[in-house]
Amino acid sequence: MDIGQDIVNAATDVFSTMLMIDLVVGEPVEGAGGEVTSNISSMLGLGGDIRGMLAVHCPAAVAMAITSGFLGMDVDTLNEDVKDAIGEIANMIAGNLKIAFAGYGVKVELAIPTSVVGESYRVGGMLGAKRVAVPFGMESGQFLVELKYIVNG
Amino acid sequence: MDISEKIIESTMEIFSTMVMMEVSVAGPPLQESGTLHDTITGMIGLAGTHKGVLAIHIPNTVAMAITSSFLGMEVDSINDDVRDAVGELANMLGGNVKTILSQNGRDIELSLPSTIAGHEYGFQAATDVEMIILPFKTENGEFLIELQLEK
Repeated sequence: MDIGQDIVNAATDVFSTMLMIDLVVGEPVEGAGGEVTSNISSMLGLGGDIRGMLAVHCPAAVAMAITSGFLGMDVDTLNEDVKDAIGEIANMIAGNLKIAFAGYGVKVELAIPTSVVGESYRVGGMLGAKRVAVPFGMESGQFLVELKYIVNG
Repeated sequence: MDISEKIIESTMEIFSTMVMMEVSVAGPPLQESGTLHDTITGMIGLAGTHKGVLAIHIPNTVAMAITSSFLGMEVDSINDDVRDAVGELANMLGGNVKTILSQNGRDIELSLPSTIAGHEYGFQAATDVEMIILPFKTENGEFLIELQLEK
């Protein structure tokens, strides 16, 4: 099981299929990260054979560009549409991960996405959880897809 | 007993047995959690037959007091101990909500708990949900518990 690769596949699939965007894929990073600087983080929990939390962290410009791509219209504030759009991105990436994990016999169910919007906040996870994060690039900037997880005993 | 009452009961039980702090209901349910200032949020996802999110939003000063009581040690900043304690609170509350929502508790899985902490942020469901937001008070201040359930 290569979770970094699973995240890469999940995200690139969502962006090319739904948004016609070819993401620039960064190197997966494992282990504790530093603070993530973003303006919106959409988070979605996974439960079952793995207990996890998927997060999509975006700076404002990237979140708005993604939302504009989704809606086919310009977006220039972090409004409801943006919260819904990034939440939906998290949902679709998590959906792809669920399928990938099922391929290894690892069964998970998805919770619902929540969006956190702010100028300065920090997302933390359970100490002792594993973490894999992959940065992705688009024309408007970079965003991060991060999965924190523990294997359910 | 409806869900709100059961959440209230769980919260009071967890706080009295695990945190060793008295809590009580601070007022009627709120419509939204709104913009949170100098607050730390513990959240956990519920997945399976019921999908949702349970969050506890605690102002920093209250979170430090709760952590001190929980861990039996003085805490004076939002550090890893506080994040851990708040995440664990969300975990325990999530466990109780799991049992409240599902007769045998077995049809719902809990995600990993997570925390968000910051000077100013909003916490919002990204889909169509039913929300229950309950304010509680302690001798150090108030906090909110928010349950979002997919409709």
